[in-house]
Amino acid sequence: MATFNMKILCTTLSKLSVNRVTIRRNAYYKPPKYRPPHWFMPKERVMSEDMLTQENRDFIEEIKQDKLNSQLALESPLAHVDQHTVQWTPFTRRVGLIARKIGNYPLWSKDGKKFQTTLLQVVDNHVIKYIPPEEFNPMRTKKICWKEKRTLGCLLVGSETVDPSTVTKDYCGIFNSVGMLPKRHLFRFMVSPNSALPTGTPLFATHFRVGDYVDVRAKTIDRGFQGVMKRWGFSGMPASHGVTKTHRRPGNIGAGGEKARVWPGTKMPGHMGNRWRILRGVKILRINTKHNILWMLGVGIPGETGAVCYLYDTVLPLKKLKIAPPFPTHPASNDLPLEYYDESIHPFEEQTIMFDEV
Amino acid sequence: MALVIRKPTFDILSAAKWMIRKDCRALSSLVEKTEETEKRPVGRRARFQNPALEYRHIFPEFLPDPNPKWRNSLREKMERADMLKRRSQIDIPEFYVGSVLAVTISDPHAQGKTNRFVGICIERKGCGLRAEFTLRNVVDHQGVEIRYDLYDPTIQSIQVLRLEKRLDDKLFYLRDALPEYSTFPFDMDPEILPEGTPVPVNTVQVKLKPRPWLERWERQELKGVANIEEHLKEKDRIRRELRKTPWEKYDLMKEYRKTIPVEDQTEIWGEVHNQLNQLRLSRKKMFKKRPISTPKPQLG
Repeated sequence: MATFNMKILCTTLSKLSVNRVTIRRNAYYKPPKYRPPHWFMPKERVMSEDMLTQENRDFIEEIKQDKLNSQLALESPLAHVDQHTVQWTPFTRRVGLIARKIGNYPLWSKDGKKFQTTLLQVVDNHVIKYIPPEEFNPMRTKKICWKEKRTLGCLLVGSETVDPSTVTKDYCGIFNSVGMLPKRHLFRFMVSPNSALPTGTPLFATHFRVGDYVDVRAKTIDRGFQGVMKRWGFSGMPASHGVTKTHRRPGNIGAGGEKARVWPGTKMPGHMGNRWRILRGVKILRINTKHNILWMLGVGIPGETGAVCYLYDTVLPLKKLKIAPPFPTHPASNDLPLEYYDESIHPFEEQTIMFDEV
Repeated sequence: MALVIRKPTFDILSAAKWMIRKDCRALSSLVEKTEETEKRPVGRRARFQNPALEYRHIFPEFLPDPNPKWRNSLREKMERADMLKRRSQIDIPEFYVGSVLAVTISDPHAQGKTNRFVGICIERKGCGLRAEFTLRNVVDHQGVEIRYDLYDPTIQSIQVLRLEKRLDDKLFYLRDALPEYSTFPFDMDPEILPEGTPVPVNTVQVKLKPRPWLERWERQELKGVANIEEHLKEKDRIRRELRKTPWEKYDLMKEYRKTIPVEDQTEIWGEVHNQLNQLRLSRKKMFKKRPISTPKPQLG
């Protein structure tokens, strides 16, 4: 009898426990499964004082240098592969690049017009891993837009090699499993299976050509909590003429009657910036092959100087690639010209622009 | 115990560092009165020894924008390389605000496809390839100002007709001054200074037209204006006193944010020194060749 009572008590108590959280789930609503992609690992590490002797420190430093040197000495896996086995078609998707925004300055065209350009530096990009479409099982989000999820593979690209001791062990594990050193930035590109690249392939700025159009994805400048004038461009109210206490305020935010409430989507003050935005169809005007710098037309690329952005071939139908680009990517070579210029751009070392008299 | 001993030494070190820093910071690209007066009697030869001292006034656009949000060493390097490439094509001479320049540009809409303009430089600003200057002249009783990009490849030549400085950094008050102060003939002959002389400072004080003015000149502490007081009312004088910011010249932090530190400057000038020097030498050669050929027909 006592054991029976005990059982009842246990079951009731277990029902009361906090661990069990009821999830709302019915025919109309199924909560999305939030789970990170299987290659995602936390990167930030809490640094701690290790109390090492100077000799041990030197030893660790030596090992780091050895690893870095062996990484640098690695030959591109593409060097011995015949590139012409696979053909590029307008429907294939290539890899992209991870670049850093380093500033803007003007270039002049051959007919004397001034163009503002943004400089993007492609730093130390390597292919980390390829996940074929059958194995790739992306995280489910609220927006379901994975129409091509069965056909595209996932290619992980990393940029900027970092000291392995500055990141977590789990994050290092992603790179260790393929024999690479950890990278500061890791990004996923969806690619067609025939444009997959082997691990360790270096990517350069010459992956794109001058005159091509690319899409740039980056985080916009974080402006914090902003009022309605800065965030949405409202005009505010007059500075004088009897206006008191409402100079930068939004004014009316809704009507009465049936609509006596604030409508969803009303433009109001709030956090501005620090969002992922894609600028599509940006033209490449100039490429430096030594420092891997791309000069992009315009100053609309999101983010401040030093922001990281992701580049890939544009999806705009009229600006899409028409001629076959370097496929699957441009191999490493030392005999490239230092700079490529778009045909409309005037190189600074050329002679002064003169217009012929007709 | 060790800590106790160390602390005062640290203090001394930091104080010394601060002192050095303060001196270094004085090497800004902004023109300073005290330094100018010290340097002038020494002449040009002596100033050549420290290129940083010499070059920051002659080529101010080689110094990047001091805003740390916009700085990037690689971009600045690329920019300087491009500037030198352009300078190898066209001779961009030394000039200052107040110098009289003649600029020839290619213009597809002009007759003969070139356009020449003569005027006084009233402003010079911008860093790197963005550097620009503004020329002002009065043509047919109409004030004309043209802004040129210094590194625009359509510029065919920049000629300095009169190399001099004025008392102010910007000469926007010429817009409100009598027209004769900004009138320069288009067929002006270049005035050649003997080699080794310092750049002369023109101490002319212009006369302003009566009000209305484009800006409140009385609040800007201008040295190159003669008759500003006679156009002012009592109200303006009171307002001027209220708006004065005499503490700003003691604001070290403001000065710091406006300038490039001397360590960066030595790096920059060390990088471009050789090429700039070569360009300068080639210009001198051209200059020596010129007087033999050109003045004779004028005399004849």
